[in-house]
Amino acid sequence: MNRADPRAWGINQKLAFLAIALGALALIGSPSPGGAVTINTQELADIVESEVDHVTVEELADWVVQDRADYRLLDVRDPESYARYHIPTAESVELRDLHGYPLYHNEKIVIYSDGGIHSAQAWFLLRAEGFAGAYILLGGLDAWKDAILFPELPADATPDEVASFESRRAVSELFGGKPRTGGGGTANPAEIPLPKVKPPAAVAAPRARKKHHKEGC
Amino acid sequence: MIAPFYKYGLFGDEVSLILAAVIGVGFGFFLERAGFGSSRKLAAQFYFTDMAVFKVMFSAIVTAMLGLFYLSWAGLVDISMVYVSPTYLLPQLIGGLVLGLGFIVGGYCPGTSVVGISTGRLDAVAFGGGVFSGIFVYGELYPWLADFVKSTSMGRVTLDSWLGVDVGMVVFAVVVMAVLGFWGATTVERKLARREAEA
Amino acid sequence: MNPYLAGVGLGLVLLLAFVLMGRGLGASGAFSTIVAVIVDAVAPAHAQANEFYLGYLENGYGSPFKSFLMFEVIGVLVGGFISGALAGRVKRTVERGPRMSAKGRIGLAILGGTMMGFGAKLAGGCTSGQGLSGGAVLGLGSWTFMIMVFVGGYAGAYFLRREWR
Repeated sequence: MNRADPRAWGINQKLAFLAIALGALALIGSPSPGGAVTINTQELADIVESEVDHVTVEELADWVVQDRADYRLLDVRDPESYARYHIPTAESVELRDLHGYPLYHNEKIVIYSDGGIHSAQAWFLLRAEGFAGAYILLGGLDAWKDAILFPELPADATPDEVASFESRRAVSELFGGKPRTGGGGTANPAEIPLPKVKPPAAVAAPRARKKHHKEGC
Repeated sequence: MIAPFYKYGLFGDEVSLILAAVIGVGFGFFLERAGFGSSRKLAAQFYFTDMAVFKVMFSAIVTAMLGLFYLSWAGLVDISMVYVSPTYLLPQLIGGLVLGLGFIVGGYCPGTSVVGISTGRLDAVAFGGGVFSGIFVYGELYPWLADFVKSTSMGRVTLDSWLGVDVGMVVFAVVVMAVLGFWGATTVERKLARREAEA
Repeated sequence: MNPYLAGVGLGLVLLLAFVLMGRGLGASGAFSTIVAVIVDAVAPAHAQANEFYLGYLENGYGSPFKSFLMFEVIGVLVGGFISGALAGRVKRTVERGPRMSAKGRIGLAILGGTMMGFGAKLAGGCTSGQGLSGGAVLGLGSWTFMIMVFVGGYAGAYFLRREWR
């Protein structure tokens, strides 16, 4: 022990010196802003070309009805639109909140907006951050309304089309929609009043899908 | 940026649970190394005879804070992905006060009580039982407390953004305050020890 | 062990948690999970109607026990024991001051624990979670919390001196 020399630096003094030195150095430094990513544009372009980047409204309707827990559905429109109507099991996330939003890299993340622009942009942002399971809902909410909520039976339908319409009628009613019959020229899906979000009877607890791990104490 | 590794998809949920246990072993190990399995040692902080609680806590905070700062500066850690708990000023102020009182009454905090239990302290076991009841009371009262608990929310605000200064400045200030605090704490300890020796 | 070195060790473990998981340490969350599970077992409808319990029951992993904090706390038990065993500090005892009886100490420990449990949930964490972890990332609420913990401890010290001195 070096008690003999009071000027000698014990471990505590050394630690204090180190801490102050590092603290002082911090004055001139700055943490990098979050959100900087490396993008492989070729890889992303290939994904788009091969069309593995989207999910159809029919597939999504299936997943909702089956009460599957292996996907996340993100509604990237503004919160007011979300409150008026959203696809059952959807979570409201605006683009600016996407970075850092609790999502997992090994789950399917389906994104939708009214048409496809914002959802495509959100898809790109998520892909750039390494979320390989990000998908766009093909056609967005417009396609959902058109094909799922208000499926249409044209006036001159073939027996096959009639059969397929009947099965879609059942799904539509599950979601609180109203099938349309009578051929083109009937009301535009965009103008038909939307049902209050009524999840199918099978989806009793949408909360179960909330995979937000608590990160606090 | 590659870290936090979990959030960049390096490993999944199962592995993260194993890592949680490993991290926990380190946590418990150093808490006990510091002597925090003993409620007497913990309580001594509040009688100025042994300021280890202050020294250990703030050395840990300074270490982790500097580590995060430099790793982020080096571009290795994405600081925006590191969890910052949301600030609810009033509930945290009052919660802290209640916790501090509980600390001196009970002699432990939840983390150190686990260490106490692991080293045979029966008072730590009793304390742990108390923690369960306290949480149960809270849970049952929650429907009425919820509004208060979520009040005065300021979001995930850090000292630097609240003060409107650079993070580096806050880092430096924290280090200086901690070192001064350590020096002050040691001085107080020595003075008290001398006084008790003379008594 | 030198408290500063123990603190540095603790800080490095905390840093490891940040780097690996993007979150800090904690303890009270594990206690909360156990409470939630017990309440759910006894009165499931009541538990599931309560937003607080629900948060711990449905953490997205399937079983509420598969939570970071549960596994971490098990690690704390192990790590604490290892260190204690190495230092010869493992001892079945009731720690108390010279003027305190074991029974009285146990009673106060229960009372203190209850206050702690309640206060920790009010503040959203305990000294490990809000204090250490929140402190290291410079959270405003966390620092406020920490200062108040010391205030509370010192404020109560005079009244509790029979217990410790």
